[in-house]
Amino acid sequence: MSDGLTLWLTFAAIGVTTLMTRGSFIMLGEKARLPAALHRALRYAPAAALSALVVPDILLDGGQLQPLNPKLLAAVVVVVVALRWRNPWLPFILGMGVLIALRKGLGL
Amino acid sequence: MSDAFRKGARAGWADFLPMSVGLIPWAVVTGIAMRSIGLSPVEAMGMNLIVYAGTAQLGTLPLIATGAPLWLIFVTALVLNLRFVIFSAAIAPAFHDHHWARRVSASYLLVDGVFAVGADKMLGAREPEWRWGYFIAPSVWCWCLWQVFVLVGVLGAEIVPRDWSLEFMVTIALMLLMIPMARTRPMLLAAVAGGLGAVLLRDLPLRLGLFAGIAIGIASGFVAEHWQTRRAER
Repeated sequence: MSDGLTLWLTFAAIGVTTLMTRGSFIMLGEKARLPAALHRALRYAPAAALSALVVPDILLDGGQLQPLNPKLLAAVVVVVVALRWRNPWLPFILGMGVLIALRKGLGL
Repeated sequence: MSDAFRKGARAGWADFLPMSVGLIPWAVVTGIAMRSIGLSPVEAMGMNLIVYAGTAQLGTLPLIATGAPLWLIFVTALVLNLRFVIFSAAIAPAFHDHHWARRVSASYLLVDGVFAVGADKMLGAREPEWRWGYFIAPSVWCWCLWQVFVLVGVLGAEIVPRDWSLEFMVTIALMLLMIPMARTRPMLLAAVAGGLGAVLLRDLPLRLGLFAGIAIGIASGFVAEHWQTRRAER
C-alpha cells in the first residue's frame, strides 16, 4: 500500500474529482446554461440513474443473471409494501427481514 | 436567519429524513472497508472528510491497496463520480442567484440522495432563501450522519458482523426513492430502460455500463415524452 504523503496526495486527488464533478455547472453559474432540450432530457437522470444502480444489484449475483435470488425476492416485498402502506420504516424492516431469513434460514 | 430559510430547511429535512436512514449501513460498511485495506483510523477519517463520496471511496480502495499509480486512481475516481456532472447541471439553476461561497459548499455537499429527493422542489421554488434552506439542512444532516457512522464502522471494524448484508438497506432506500418518481409513463420507461441497460452492458470496463444504462434510460424517457406530446397534439 502507498504510505504517508503519497496516501494523503491520493486522497486529495480523489477529493478533487468529487468537487470537479459536483461543482461543474453549479460553479459556472449563469455563464453556462444547458440547452432546453438537454435540460428536459436531464429530468430523467435521477430515475434512470437510481434504476441503473439498483437493478443490476438485485438481478445479478457474481456478475451472472440470477432471476430467483434472495435480493430480488426481498426487493419485490419492498415494492409491494411501499405501494400498500404509508409507513416509511416498514419497507426497510420487512425487506431486510426477508433477505436475512432467505439467506440465513434457507441458506440461499 | 430569515423565515423563508427556516421554512425551507424544515421542509428539506422532513423530505430527506426517511431515506437518510438507508445511509447508515452504507457508512458503516465504508468505514469497515477502509480499515480492511490497512488504513489507520486517522487516515480512514481523513479520506472520508476529503473525498466525501461513498462510491468513489469504495471504488478506489482496491487500487490504493495495491499501490496503483496516482493517475489511474484519479481517472477511476473521476469516472465513478461522472454522474455528479448530470446532477450538477440539473440542479445548477437553483444556485444561480447565490453567493460563490454557498456554491462552493454545495459543490462539496451535493450527494445522490439529497439531489434525488429535492431537485424538483428546489428548481420549482422562487424564493432563494427557501431554496438554500431546503438544500443545506438535509445536506448538512447527511454529512453529519455519514461522518458519525463511518467513524462507527472505522472503530468497530473488528466487531460488526459482515454476513448481515446490511448494505442492502441502501438498495431499499434507492428503490423507495424511485417508486414515487415512476408515476408518469415516460419516467417509468426511463427507469426500466436504465436498469435493464445497466444489466445488459455490465461487462463494459470501468463501470461504463452504469453510465451507458443511465444514458439509455434518459434517452428512452425523453423520446417517450416527445411521442406522448405529439399524440396529444393530434
